Amino acid sequence: MNAPQRSTDAAIRVEGLTKYYGDFLAVDHISFEVQQGEVFGFLGPNGAGKTTTQRMLTGLLLPSEGRVLIFGHDLVHNPYPAKRRMGLVPEESNVYAELTAWENLLFTARLYRVPRRERAKRAQELLTAFDLWERRRVKVADFSKGMRRRLCIAMAIIHRPSLLFLDEPTPGLDVQSARLIRELIRELNSQGTTVFLTTHQIEEANQLCDRVAIIHRGKIAAIDTPERLKAAFRRVQSVEVALEPDGQAHGRALSSLPGVTTAVKMGDKWRLYTEDPSALLPRVVRYAEGNGLRVVSLSTLGPSLEDVFLAITGQEVGAPRQGPQEGQQRRTGRGR
Amino acid sequence: MRVWWQRLRDELAQAWAVAVKDVRVYYLRPGMIMFGFLMPFFLFFSFSVRREMAAAQGIARLLSLTTFFTAASAGPFIIPLERRLRTYDRLLVAPMSLLSLLLGKTAVGAFFAAGVSAFALVIGITAFGATVAQPGFLAAGVLLGSFAFSSLGLVFGSIPTRNPGDVQMPSTLLRWGLLFVSGVFIPLQEMAPAARAVAYLSPLTYAQDLMNHALPGKGLLNPWLDTGVLLLAGILFLIPSMFLHRRARRLGY
Repeated sequence: MNAPQRSTDAAIRVEGLTKYYGDFLAVDHISFEVQQGEVFGFLGPNGAGKTTTQRMLTGLLLPSEGRVLIFGHDLVHNPYPAKRRMGLVPEESNVYAELTAWENLLFTARLYRVPRRERAKRAQELLTAFDLWERRRVKVADFSKGMRRRLCIAMAIIHRPSLLFLDEPTPGLDVQSARLIRELIRELNSQGTTVFLTTHQIEEANQLCDRVAIIHRGKIAAIDTPERLKAAFRRVQSVEVALEPDGQAHGRALSSLPGVTTAVKMGDKWRLYTEDPSALLPRVVRYAEGNGLRVVSLSTLGPSLEDVFLAITGQEVGAPRQGPQEGQQRRTGRGR
Repeated sequence: MRVWWQRLRDELAQAWAVAVKDVRVYYLRPGMIMFGFLMPFFLFFSFSVRREMAAAQGIARLLSLTTFFTAASAGPFIIPLERRLRTYDRLLVAPMSLLSLLLGKTAVGAFFAAGVSAFALVIGITAFGATVAQPGFLAAGVLLGSFAFSSLGLVFGSIPTRNPGDVQMPSTLLRWGLLFVSGVFIPLQEMAPAARAVAYLSPLTYAQDLMNHALPGKGLLNPWLDTGVLLLAGILFLIPSMFLHRRARRLGY
């Protein structure tokens, strides 16, 4: 894990950032800092204010109150130096379908005033790195979703930004594309790029981020390193057990064992949430022996970042997560 | 001083990059061909066929229509479409001023109008024997008219929406309204005083008058006044566009 570098100016400093849509308070006086060199994860359920915050941090949306400083430059009053140092990969791959991959990259290079002699060189490097070189003369309309995503990221970094915003970079992608993008994030970060990652993929945030913030109902509910957040939620430790034969039928009985707060079916296993896994283990073994069951696997698990997320956002562990439609409905209900 | 000069060069280069990109992406779109290319010719033939009119007078009318309709068609089509596809975000996060972005977008409509007008002029000269009395005023009329009306179209394109249909209706309504009060189909000399007073409020009146100076050589107003009004209109129309863009940023478009 890369330790955040201390510097006079944080990569991002957010002070009392607030956004109203009419009477609806979408983001509620949030403040935080992202240090230079960090990979910072921004998590939250649909409609919590993630995208609204990210749009304010990139200058696409004017805040109702508060301010955003990018490397010390106020994004509203002095946007030019701030914007020169940032790149954005939005949730939707906003590439020009009528242009080729090569033309898309060269246009972005011109827009960011990459020196003329550097443009073609950088475009070639990026297309090669993203495995798009062979398709450079093909119109993007004929690209797959993964190829568009890779091109979109290449366009966001052609000017070598110091700060890269990524909004949900990997959902819906094939395994190779998702892995390529995660590796790229690590590589960019190792070269000094600060990364602000907005994501639903909690495991992705766990693997990539130095720190994460969880936004819930427009407020920052937690902000810390993934490990410290997990440590603060020891009550969501668990024991995972797979029993045979017919282990699926024992959920009710397992959930009633002393010390179990919740039992959640995880494929062919049961995950038993408890504050004291060491006390629960022998009870599970005794239960299996008493019922003539074979223990196929038995393990203890610390709280995952997903458990922390669910605990913070008030969703019961094991309950179904909100679907993507919910956030959409709330957005259209803002009365634009 | 050097920093400012560099910044100015950057801004102009960025505006140019936006314009060139839009030319490549949008000129062959059906919406642009329909509203920007075919519409002025349809209008011209609808109101001019079988009427007693000299070739130069007819081509002056056609050039007014091409600069007006073609230039004003780009903004209302391109910007809402880009907002819907989220490609407009790419331009808004770039390190360029809003004015440069708007100038780039204005250039897109202006280039299109200048190209279509040149095509109409060539047809007029070669097929109908039209003559140009004042080439300088012709160039000024096409260039400044294209700039002014592209800037007008941009006002509608700047309305905060992601649906081009929301913008097309009011912009078409205004364009048709201006068309019938601006001395394009009824010469200013033949208008009643009240109608003529209304006509003077429309920038299209000055474009038509400048074309009348340029081709048949029979304008009513001072051609320098026409030139000045078109230039001023083009600049002034950028102001509401900037205001509407700021409103769009508040609303999240």
